[in-house]
Amino acid sequence: MTQTIIWTIAILTILGAALAVVLFVVAKKFHVEEDPRIDEVEKVLPGANCGGCGQAGCRAFAQHCVASSPNLDSCFCPVGGNEGMQKVAAVLGVEVAVKEPQVAVVRCNGTCENRPRTNEYGGYQSCRVKAALYSGDTACSFGCLGCGDCVAVCQFGAITMDPATGLPVVDEEKCTACGACVKACPKGVIELRNKGRRNMRVYVSCVNKDKGAAARKACKAACIGCSKCAKVCPFEAITVENNLAYIDYTKCRLCKKCVAECPTGAIHTVNFPVIPPKPAAQTPKPEAAPAPAEPVKKEE
Amino acid sequence: MMKTFSIGGIHPSDSKISKDCKIEVLPVPSKVFISVAQHLGAPATPIVKAGDQVKVGQVIAEPAGFISAYVHSSVSGTVKSVGPRKDLAGNNMTHIEIDVEGDEWAEGIDLTDTLVTAIPEDNKEILEKIKLNGVVGLGGATFPAHVKLCPPPGKKADCLILNGAECEPYLTSDYRIMLERSKEIVVGAAIMKQVLGGCPAVIGIEENKPEAIKAMTAAVAELQKTAKGYDGISVMTLKKKYPQGGEKQLIDAVMKRQVKSMGLPIDVGAVVQNVATSLAVYEAVQKNMPLITNVMTITGDCLPMENQHNYKFRIGMPLSYIAEYAGGVPEAAAKIVSGGPMMGKAIANLDATTVKGSSSLLYLTAEQTVRGVESACIRCGKCAEACPMGLEPFLLQKYARNNMFDELEDNAVQDCIECGCCLYSCPANIPLLDIIRLAKGDVIKIIRTRK
Repeated sequence: MTQTIIWTIAILTILGAALAVVLFVVAKKFHVEEDPRIDEVEKVLPGANCGGCGQAGCRAFAQHCVASSPNLDSCFCPVGGNEGMQKVAAVLGVEVAVKEPQVAVVRCNGTCENRPRTNEYGGYQSCRVKAALYSGDTACSFGCLGCGDCVAVCQFGAITMDPATGLPVVDEEKCTACGACVKACPKGVIELRNKGRRNMRVYVSCVNKDKGAAARKACKAACIGCSKCAKVCPFEAITVENNLAYIDYTKCRLCKKCVAECPTGAIHTVNFPVIPPKPAAQTPKPEAAPAPAEPVKKEE
Repeated sequence: MMKTFSIGGIHPSDSKISKDCKIEVLPVPSKVFISVAQHLGAPATPIVKAGDQVKVGQVIAEPAGFISAYVHSSVSGTVKSVGPRKDLAGNNMTHIEIDVEGDEWAEGIDLTDTLVTAIPEDNKEILEKIKLNGVVGLGGATFPAHVKLCPPPGKKADCLILNGAECEPYLTSDYRIMLERSKEIVVGAAIMKQVLGGCPAVIGIEENKPEAIKAMTAAVAELQKTAKGYDGISVMTLKKKYPQGGEKQLIDAVMKRQVKSMGLPIDVGAVVQNVATSLAVYEAVQKNMPLITNVMTITGDCLPMENQHNYKFRIGMPLSYIAEYAGGVPEAAAKIVSGGPMMGKAIANLDATTVKGSSSLLYLTAEQTVRGVESACIRCGKCAEACPMGLEPFLLQKYARNNMFDELEDNAVQDCIECGCCLYSCPANIPLLDIIRLAKGDVIKIIRTRK
């Protein structure tokens, strides 16, 4: 009995020692020289492996950063943001330029109310499948298809479908601007835009390139390409191409002149402070705010 | 023993309700919209502008590449506009809008009914006529016919197969032209046969069309007796099985040869053309008539018998006009399909217009179209049994859902012919074809970029 135990221990010890030697030799012989900084960089990355940086994952991004150091212009981890990049730069001992943080924006306002359904889609619920078959169940062949491919692809739970409108809604807090939804959308409705000063943004919530009459017929909130916004913009931030206005977020200074000018309400604003309804003589600008405020007063 | 293809296939009910309806000619509407993308390949470039006067048969758009085709005006009148308009699927495509004035035909087109049996001797001249008259394959893919009739150097056609299978349920347009224009089809076959270097020609027809087989056999026999150049043409009766009309399936059925993965029919010495294409070739070569008309079926279970039709239409006619002329859209119709029920496309927009390849307006009821609730795959293997290409759809859909492109390629997703047999046979209602079709596109793109 004791002998069996002793033999077992002895054999396993010898086997273990022998294999340890083999492993040591092999590890020395086939040692891959790798920059130790790659590990360090990887440690400060978020580890989401989302691919938002354009690399295959966080490890690949770390390798890319180390390889392209000291110039980190081509490296940006949208999940970690500027803070994360500062950490990466600190590890590598280089400087990195601060990038404007971005957020995903859904450029379609074709709610059930604005955009009447013209047919019923009975096929597989996937935007890609739907887009491959036809233009969608409304008269607008450019807008959101509403099957939620963007929701399925978001790793951060930042996009949800609003059952009331049938459109996706982006949660700014959770969105890391990894761009997965932008790639998943077969209609190109989602765009990454700069978060903007105090998170305030102005954008054209439409991608319809049809002529004005056709676009208007398909959707009440469509951009009809009338160019009124482009004329009124003091900063030349708005261009109208193929019957569709686009606001360049690098030039836009959030004056909101275009918002009041748009006849279909296709230009949306986000996170602007709601101006209190009472002081009417404060500024001539806030035309949008009094509308809901007035009936409230009357009721009182 | 009747022949058919060796693997897979399904047997849907053939529902050829409109098979006894004679071909009627549709009157010309007051306005037509002619699409410049009526063929596979690059859309044609319009060469007319608003205000131009055009005659019937005049070229209004030129090919924009090797795989592209001429488009002719189907009416006479004034061009009103050239611009985007929604097509069948609701997407924008350039259309040429023409206001119809009278019915004046371009010069050089023979409008008589006389059968011209003497085949021109110069093959180059024949091919030029086929090309200039905008003939495309009318079996569904609308591939430019002249390209198919010029085998690449080093390859030789051993057999011309005329596709008269019409394996899609409901459709009867090919059947009607085989009955009513049988001799013209045989002349067309003889012309293509001569261009391909005198190989034999086989007209494959499924057993459920005995009258067509009789009519075509009689036409072949008569022409062989009375005219020269018609030897080697024969009619072959095929067993009824879907998708017999698929190019690779038809080659397998007729010649017992299999086209390799990513290969072309010419690799095994076969050229397949539809009977309707053969008729178009006859008209183009013998009558100098451009491809501006075709035959389409108006049918459906919910359509009363008197409203079932086979119409000879001109390209550019709005579908709503045709539906109205045929007696209106039946109330029970939940879905209108252009093409057969298996491979046709649902029409999202009845304002779209007819194109060269239009083959039907098929009204389906809600019962026929609503899909069952999808449930888990039980690995019964019915889809694999049904697949005429010998693929394993249950496996492919799994790989496709997980974006496993290497595995997809190893399992030959690129060979899928999108016939829909898997979807038809799946008891779990899994949208196999929808998913596999996308993966096929992705994999073919990957293979192309690699090359």
